[in-house]
Amino acid sequence: MRKLEEKREILYVIRTMDVLMSSGVGLEAAIHTIGTGGYGIISKDFSTVMEKLRSGKSKGLEKEIKVLMSKSESEGYRRLLNTMYNNLTQNTDLIETLRKQGKRMEEDRNEDVNKYIEDLSGVPETLLSIGMIGPIILAIIGLIPQLMSGDLGAFMKLPPASTIQSVVNVGLIATLFGMIMIGLKAHTKDPGL
Amino acid sequence: MIFDFLEAFNDQMLLLILIVLGVAFSAGGIPPIIERNRRRSIENQLPGLLEALSDAVGAGRGIQEAMLEQGRNTPGVLGKLLTETLESSHSSSFDAALSAFASKTRSSQVQRVTVLIETAIEQDAPLQGILSDLSMDYERLNDLMNKRESELQGRGILIIIFVCIGLPVLIAFIVGLFAPANKGYQIGDFNQTFALFFAASSAIASLVSGRMLGRMKDFLWWLPFWMAVSMGLYLGAVKMIGG
Repeated sequence: MRKLEEKREILYVIRTMDVLMSSGVGLEAAIHTIGTGGYGIISKDFSTVMEKLRSGKSKGLEKEIKVLMSKSESEGYRRLLNTMYNNLTQNTDLIETLRKQGKRMEEDRNEDVNKYIEDLSGVPETLLSIGMIGPIILAIIGLIPQLMSGDLGAFMKLPPASTIQSVVNVGLIATLFGMIMIGLKAHTKDPGL
Repeated sequence: MIFDFLEAFNDQMLLLILIVLGVAFSAGGIPPIIERNRRRSIENQLPGLLEALSDAVGAGRGIQEAMLEQGRNTPGVLGKLLTETLESSHSSSFDAALSAFASKTRSSQVQRVTVLIETAIEQDAPLQGILSDLSMDYERLNDLMNKRESELQGRGILIIIFVCIGLPVLIAFIVGLFAPANKGYQIGDFNQTFALFFAASSAIASLVSGRMLGRMKDFLWWLPFWMAVSMGLYLGAVKMIGG
């Protein structure tokens, strides 16, 4: 969940930092502005960093960014934090790197969305195959004791109706489970627009 | 007639509850659809407005003047809201008017853009370039969102129609034709099991469909409705065909 939220917000954070720092705002002030809200989980992270710095409990902004790097789950967020860390420790050109990162992240996002659409193209068919063929077969199995009652049932040596009913129940539960598992694909691969 | 219909399902307590919940929750499901359409229409107009603002600022106009002018020229909800807010902001500051406009749109895109514009004004940053960049960014973002919507909407509807309507009717035909109750077949338990299965599978199908389109929470409102539809269709069709 955290990864998805980070992915959703990161591009906006980069754009904001770009605007802020291009117009002369320092890195700490930019972190403070983003920490005031509007950027979901990243705002929360940055506001925690600023609170720690203000309270005097922190060993410095570099250390706090290092902590965030270990906490981050998405590649883009980790890369942004790394750029910030490099700027603090080696005085690198942050604005130029932010622009490049923004461009790259936008390309990644486009690719992710296209891939998501492509990946989900098979979901309806798979879901319908399992969700429809399973119950049809199970319905026929469930009706067998009714359809083959009397002499025909005795001749075929059918298992008791309760056993068939249990098989149908288990089959239906397995079908539901299969549908959930296929549906999970739509959730786990969400590009986070 | 409605009571006669409901009477036929007297022994199906869950179905009756789901019908009532389905009707009630559907009423709750309509406002998110209307709100989303409104928000998306605002967001789709946003890049155009930003581009026009960038041009106006580049031509030497002040941002406030440019916004008022573009608000009047932009058709639809965005222009109307912008004009209304800026015209009613004589007694307050421009920043306050911008914030009021952003909150009235209820769109995170507009709110982010507004915050950035406010920050750029505060920091005396080059507005023309920023507005132009923002316009291109949001145009690309909206194109992606619209693409996702158009490509996946058909698939989402397909899943719901097949699982919530097609499947229960198909199984009901099989059961009604091969084991009709009016010929003495004991299919009470069987019907109960399958009715519950259809309710559960409809819930899953509708949630998956909602997740594909990125609005599962909105689809939650329609869950009892689709569950009731699939259960009702199955039990109704079995009764109709098999007696």
